[in-house]
Amino acid sequence: MALRELSSLEKYLGLKKPNKYTTQGDRKVPVLQNNNGPPLVGLVTVACHLVKESKRPELLGDGAEGRAVVQQWLEYRVTKLDGSSKEETRAILKELNSYLEDKVYFAGHQITLADIFMYHGTHSLMVDLSVQEREQFVNVTRWFDHVQHVRGLRHHLTPVAVLRNRIYTSRHH
Amino acid sequence: VVLTFLRRATEEEQQAQSKKALKKQQKEAEKAAKKAEKQAKLVSMFWVCCLTSGAPFQLVLYRALVKVEDLTLEKVDQLLWVRARVHTSRAKGKQCFLVLRQQQFNVQALVAVGDRASKQMVKFAANITKESIVDVEAVVRRVEQKIESCSQQDIELHIERIFVISQAEPRLPLQLDDAVRPDGEGEEEGRATVNQDTRLDNRVIDLRTTTSQAIFRLQSGVCQLFRDTLTKKGFVEIQTPKIISAASEGGANVFTVSYFKTSAYLAQSPQLYKQMCICADFDKVFCVGPVFRAEDSNTHRHLTEFVGLDIEMAFNYHYHEVIDSITDTMVQIFKGLRDNFQTEIQTVNKQFPSEPFKFLEPTLRLEFQEAVAMLREAGVEMGDEEDLSTPNEKLLGRLVKEKYDTDFYVLDKYPLAVRPFYTMPDPNNPKYSNSYDMFMRGEEILSGAQRVHDAELLTERALHHQIDLEKIKAYIDSFRYGAPPHGGGGIGLERVCMLYLGLHNVRQTSMFPRDPKRLTP
Repeated sequence: MALRELSSLEKYLGLKKPNKYTTQGDRKVPVLQNNNGPPLVGLVTVACHLVKESKRPELLGDGAEGRAVVQQWLEYRVTKLDGSSKEETRAILKELNSYLEDKVYFAGHQITLADIFMYHGTHSLMVDLSVQEREQFVNVTRWFDHVQHVRGLRHHLTPVAVLRNRIYTSRHH
Repeated sequence: VVLTFLRRATEEEQQAQSKKALKKQQKEAEKAAKKAEKQAKLVSMFWVCCLTSGAPFQLVLYRALVKVEDLTLEKVDQLLWVRARVHTSRAKGKQCFLVLRQQQFNVQALVAVGDRASKQMVKFAANITKESIVDVEAVVRRVEQKIESCSQQDIELHIERIFVISQAEPRLPLQLDDAVRPDGEGEEEGRATVNQDTRLDNRVIDLRTTTSQAIFRLQSGVCQLFRDTLTKKGFVEIQTPKIISAASEGGANVFTVSYFKTSAYLAQSPQLYKQMCICADFDKVFCVGPVFRAEDSNTHRHLTEFVGLDIEMAFNYHYHEVIDSITDTMVQIFKGLRDNFQTEIQTVNKQFPSEPFKFLEPTLRLEFQEAVAMLREAGVEMGDEEDLSTPNEKLLGRLVKEKYDTDFYVLDKYPLAVRPFYTMPDPNNPKYSNSYDMFMRGEEILSGAQRVHDAELLTERALHHQIDLEKIKAYIDSFRYGAPPHGGGGIGLERVCMLYLGLHNVRQTSMFPRDPKRLTP
């Protein structure tokens, strides 16, 4: 799973030569063998390295605060989102929905690695939602639909259909 | 006007009396009556009266009773009689406030200590048990502030005499005020609402609520509009048997009854008989009657017994003539309800708010394949010939509402594989059929089709569905002697009412519902 994500990230970043990854542990944490030093372990670590390699530092955030927010969401993805249970899904979506109420992207005013990571992380949740639930978490759906349409971003994940208009009124339960 | 007279049991005695004696008696009677009236003005009459028969003397009263509905500003200052139920009674010092209820209407009434009423009378009124039926003689008085909690908001009754006609037991199984409270309000204010099982167990009292009265009056209207519309179109009403020898829709969901030395079944639909009537040259028929389905479904929209409104008609050149006829009937029903039952609709909406029912003229008709495309666009994965599941039907209903702004539409050309054996296949595409479903608020209310009217084709279709031909021999035979092309469909009265009003459980629109877990009342 993580390896496909990294491969997708490489394509987005336009890195010509795909890296070879290994995994360690039963949680299949990705590992990248580095010629210049110790191996890089962990999805976040590897991804940040790839971003630096592609010379697109803006993807890691703008300014110190921006970078901190990006790191916060990368960590959120790996610690809270991955491996969350069905019962926690609603609570997570509610939290994200209120966070995204006044934001186009997770951090700053342009797309960052945080958006890419959160897109991959929430995909399985979004696929399972009914149309009514997607309308309920309107901000998450709006952000998700925007990110999945970014050129060169979506590779192996299926597109999630999002309707243009609301079909459920507030009276529906 | 009060007219009272005493009738003696022995009439011979009266006839024997002389004229003079009769005159004398009359004068004395008048005198006594005047005296009694004077006394009545000072002493108020309040007693529980039991109307029994067989007594040697019978007190017969004829009073003109006014309906609560008619108590308006026009009647201010009039002295009149009303018979109603005591909805509430509350004593406050020298006064007792009552709310009197009659079906959907209620009015405030007042008993105050004065020259018409004594302190004991006020106490008596306050102690009358809820739901007791009373006769009151009262003066209609205007009120300065509108009484919001009553249907008759501009007036109140000032009671001069009150009689209890039928007393209710003090402990009621449910409180009508709780039964009419909207669910949300109950939760917010911490007040009680009555759950459905309690209502259904004590249906007689639950049916007295304003909401129930409105629902079933509307339901009566649906039946009436159905009959009137179809009769105007030249349909003949028929009655079909409910005890039948073979299951009509397939053996799974049918009730078996013992029939002398053998067993028989309760009809799952009048399908076979409707068609036989068409073959018998009745051309256009409809029937209103019970339908029995032994389906062990405990859902919000299934009953084991419900009232079916069924239509069947011969057509000339295309089965769309049948669809047009049915949809026009439905539209006439919707219009009739909208124009003549607004009071009832608003009453139900008070407890169960919903959006008004919308429909188009002419009725929207979509093809099954279009519907599949709409669902796929919304992210649903389904096969071309797959039947619509209930969640998909509901989603489709929302999509159609958003796109076309209608709560009522027809879905035409269903896949042949998911329809019963007697459905006529589409001549242009063997995978589909000349069959249709109609939806209200995203839920199915009618399943219909053009029927196979050729005995050979019917036999072939039955074999394809692996149906025992012996069991349906009489049915197939009815098409051997010249049968016109025909089609039809059937709706469930309870479901149509439920969906028209925007309610969420079919038991609310069935007076004494039957489901796998309920056989009484």
